[in-house]
Amino acid sequence: MLIIIALIATTLICVVLRYRTVVEFFSAVASCVVLLGSSVVAFKVSNSGVYAPFTFFSVDSLGAILLLVTGFIYCLTTIYSIQYLHQESAKKIVGLTRVRQYFALLNLFVMAMILAITANSPVLAWIAIEATTLSTAFLISFYNKPSAMEAAWKYLIINSIGLLLGFFGTLLYFTAISQLGLLGFASWQTLIDNAIHLDPLIAKIAFIFVLIGYGTKVGLAPMHTWLPDAHSKAPAPISALLSGVLLNVAFIIVLRFKVITDLVVGQHFSQIILIVFGVLSILIAALIIFTQKNYKRLLAYSSIENMGIITLGFGLGGLGVLGATLHIIYHALIKSALFLSAGTIFLKYSSTKIAKINSAITALPVTSVLFLIGVLAITGAPPFGIFLSKILVVTASIKIYPFVSWLVLGLIAILFVGFFRHTTAMVFGDKPDGIKLGEINTWLVIPPMTLILVALYLSFSPPQFLLILINNVVLNFK
Amino acid sequence: MAYSIQSLAMTVILVGSFIETGSITMLLVVLFSMVVKVILAPIFFIRLINKHQLMFSVSTYLNTSMTLIIIAVLTFLAHSHKFSPLTTIVPTHQALLSLALSAMFLSLFLVINRKGAMSQIVGILSFENSVLAFIVFAKLEQLPALQAGVIFNILVWIVIATVFVSMLYKHFGSLDITSIKHLKD
Repeated sequence: MLIIIALIATTLICVVLRYRTVVEFFSAVASCVVLLGSSVVAFKVSNSGVYAPFTFFSVDSLGAILLLVTGFIYCLTTIYSIQYLHQESAKKIVGLTRVRQYFALLNLFVMAMILAITANSPVLAWIAIEATTLSTAFLISFYNKPSAMEAAWKYLIINSIGLLLGFFGTLLYFTAISQLGLLGFASWQTLIDNAIHLDPLIAKIAFIFVLIGYGTKVGLAPMHTWLPDAHSKAPAPISALLSGVLLNVAFIIVLRFKVITDLVVGQHFSQIILIVFGVLSILIAALIIFTQKNYKRLLAYSSIENMGIITLGFGLGGLGVLGATLHIIYHALIKSALFLSAGTIFLKYSSTKIAKINSAITALPVTSVLFLIGVLAITGAPPFGIFLSKILVVTASIKIYPFVSWLVLGLIAILFVGFFRHTTAMVFGDKPDGIKLGEINTWLVIPPMTLILVALYLSFSPPQFLLILINNVVLNFK
Repeated sequence: MAYSIQSLAMTVILVGSFIETGSITMLLVVLFSMVVKVILAPIFFIRLINKHQLMFSVSTYLNTSMTLIIIAVLTFLAHSHKFSPLTTIVPTHQALLSLALSAMFLSLFLVINRKGAMSQIVGILSFENSVLAFIVFAKLEQLPALQAGVIFNILVWIVIATVFVSMLYKHFGSLDITSIKHLKD
């Protein structure tokens, strides 16, 4: 509740007050409050299993992990955003009004994501997910350029259709309780308890609608077409939140419906569908990686790949679920760090084209190293946790679907080579002309560095409460 | 205009639901729905059209005969045995559920086939009306507060979509989606 109040209050402050420092200060405070609040909730869930302070809200282990990830990334992106927008103001790209709009929409966006994670009802979760679309549409078109407008329009239309399909699928699940007179406020638990009354054929149709609907928001292929455009045109800190958090938030809804569907028709049905969508997403990303000319789009396609791996992991079950859960955490941290580093590169070079970025290591020594480390980590190089999570997912399929294992391993290798080819071209090479050497500002370095360090720390020694949460997720979705 | 009439029909269906339940909060939902969809949405669109002197584009990707064939196929599919698990949720409402399902298919086809941004908006709103009709016919209504939340979402969506249409027109001088191609990099 404190989290929501803090976000609403800060949004109002951003709308009403016209002092930039005040807006920035309160946004930073709100982000710290959210981080603190989400940490408290995560601790409570690790101790008690489920935290449900109100009828409409409930947090389980997976929700707690996502809440914590959201709070942490939101806090760092807010700190980064303050300096990022200062730099853009210095270049006369944005003025005070745009800054206020940015922070107001950012807070609304985060609030909608938190509501989606904590919503105890599928309909409430749908409303919250739809609210994320509405709050981010203007953030994607933030620069008011034709390409940004086009990306935002595409995002709005494709996601709206997707979410309406998801809504239809959601309501089909209510056929299980409509004849029992349990309609009204139907919680996730009510649907699970009454899954036995659901017609298996309707359950299958409903899950397909839900997966296509929410899968659009997750960025699963072939519904991913909006994602590279939206993530590449949004301001870098927003891309970090879109890629690192929002995709996972939408995916958690799919997983909740998977639990209900599995109770009705068994695991095999959802397993096959999730594996197909997961592999297809990795395949699409791998096929497109070499032809990319824009480094933000490159990161966006990497998100499609990683969401594919997460989907595949949950589809496979068992060890795959462990790998996928770890992957959610590591991917969120690393991808956010990469987008923030990409934002700094953009500020320095004023371009998102790979061909225009040369010798970033001399122009931005620390940011370039962070970017390079991030790329190594996201492609699955050891010692980062993503190496372990990818191995776990691939291992999970070796026994049941060996072909999938080999295919995914091959695609991961292609992605590694493609990613590295583009990154080395950006980081090394001849000294750039007309580019001032040196980091722009320390506050643009600290957030991505913190994200990388935390990801590295969690790769070796995750804290006990997080291990409990991960263990609970594995037990819930095995 | 067509959307207004469709929304009015939807409101009448919701009134039927109110009469059945007798709930005052349901009545409020009906009124809220009517204000948003029958009154506010058309006002937004008319203002937008007048402000930019827009021509409502009805150009499609497929030609008229192909469009009609696909419409016929989709309608047939919605009434076919393939979708009977959905249309027999309430056996006495089978015809109505088939009708709502075909309206959903046709709305989706409208969004995909039309080139105009305004047509896409109307298609999505029409799709939402069709889903709502299906819910009522299948007796899957939720708590009025949640229904109000959904309608509020639609209201915000309409406002945002009209603002976007206005911005698209300013940037591109046209609402023909095929003329918007700035994302080729």
